Amino acid sequence: MTDEQLSQLESPPAVLLIDDSEFVHRILDSRLRSESISLIGEYDGKAGIERAIQDQPALILLDLDMPVMDGFEALRLLKDDPVTRNIPVIVISGLNSSQDKVTAFDLGAVDFITKPFELTELRARVRSSLKMSALLRMLEQKAQIDGLSGLYNRAYFDDRFQEEYDRSMRHGQPFSIALIDLDEFKQVNDTYGHPAGDMVISGVARLILQQCRNIDIACRYGGEEFVLIMPETTPAQAFTLCERIRAGCEALSWAQHPSRKVTLSCGVIGADDGNSINSTPQALFEMVDRNLYQAKQNGRNQVKASHFDGTPLTISKAG
Amino acid sequence: MSVPDPNTFSLDINDPEDAELIEYFLGELPEKVDFINDAADRVDLESLRRIAHQLKGAAPGFGFPSIGSAAKELEGRIRELGESGEDISSVRAQIESLTSLCQSYISSNPFQK
Repeated sequence: MTDEQLSQLESPPAVLLIDDSEFVHRILDSRLRSESISLIGEYDGKAGIERAIQDQPALILLDLDMPVMDGFEALRLLKDDPVTRNIPVIVISGLNSSQDKVTAFDLGAVDFITKPFELTELRARVRSSLKMSALLRMLEQKAQIDGLSGLYNRAYFDDRFQEEYDRSMRHGQPFSIALIDLDEFKQVNDTYGHPAGDMVISGVARLILQQCRNIDIACRYGGEEFVLIMPETTPAQAFTLCERIRAGCEALSWAQHPSRKVTLSCGVIGADDGNSINSTPQALFEMVDRNLYQAKQNGRNQVKASHFDGTPLTISKAG
Repeated sequence: MSVPDPNTFSLDINDPEDAELIEYFLGELPEKVDFINDAADRVDLESLRRIAHQLKGAAPGFGFPSIGSAAKELEGRIRELGESGEDISSVRAQIESLTSLCQSYISSNPFQK
């Protein structure tokens, strides 16, 4: 992968400079102007950490000798917080001692630059750290994303399901999941070929993404099955969302087989109040699987939703 | 240490980007000199150490390595004094050479004409 391709992934990456000296801000602003980055700045460790949490920069340049909170303390806190842990930090310092360098690397810095700056070296080090950070981020994403559909993959679902389940239980918030399965999909593959089947998978995935809100987590569970995690969502709301997906799918037309519609069946399970679920994610998944089975049994192309305790939903058809 | 010709910089004053940095640094310098003098009057060694540390790191990048060296001398001297350093007289010489060097640059600032 070339630098050019990398820089196109995100443009331009933010670099956060934390240094108490206005001089350093000024000189880096000028000397890094030619790089395709956006430089943001803070003047002490405390403010720097807050900014890092908020802005999620691609790289942090961190001075050591600062008032309020020194660089080592700031580095320790940055590496302790999961939100900022993976942001690479280059320590910049006028204290050119081996002990400081060792401490900085031990605390998780990726590089160390001494002041006064040697300009070409500074630029090269910034560039190399940004490149590494972009590659790491890409690798991390690749490991979570299903190649064909662009949705999250099964492994990601397993982790995230547990996480969101636990969170909803803790906060007593509504929580729902949906399991979606394309109807008689094998027929599409057999009749029109696997490339046509692949088009259907990615087409339905796109539809799901269009319908989902930001908080929903859409995953490809396997084959022609998709699963949605819907935090802060009652089963009734989840039903409405899934019903839109079902109707949307039925309405899609396919270039490779205009006369063959694709429909889907869907099971939904959830609770209005996460506190009330006295269960496990595994048990919840078995229940959603049963609702999907019901939807298939009842003639496909439909959504079967219920509360985890079996109470039926009151669906308002209005709107 | 010989005083360098204040009209020469380690950056290229004919390069627009370099000139911008030189001009900025020279513009900031009077305030820094005032700050050093105030801190010396108050016998505030921590403030003196901090400003010396900043100038040591920054001045060479703006084209003023001699100011960087003078600041380095001052910072080093204050560090030597350590905790027991309430006697500011032993760093007077370093303060003096740093501020007078800065003054000579300020008085011949080519951007202030």
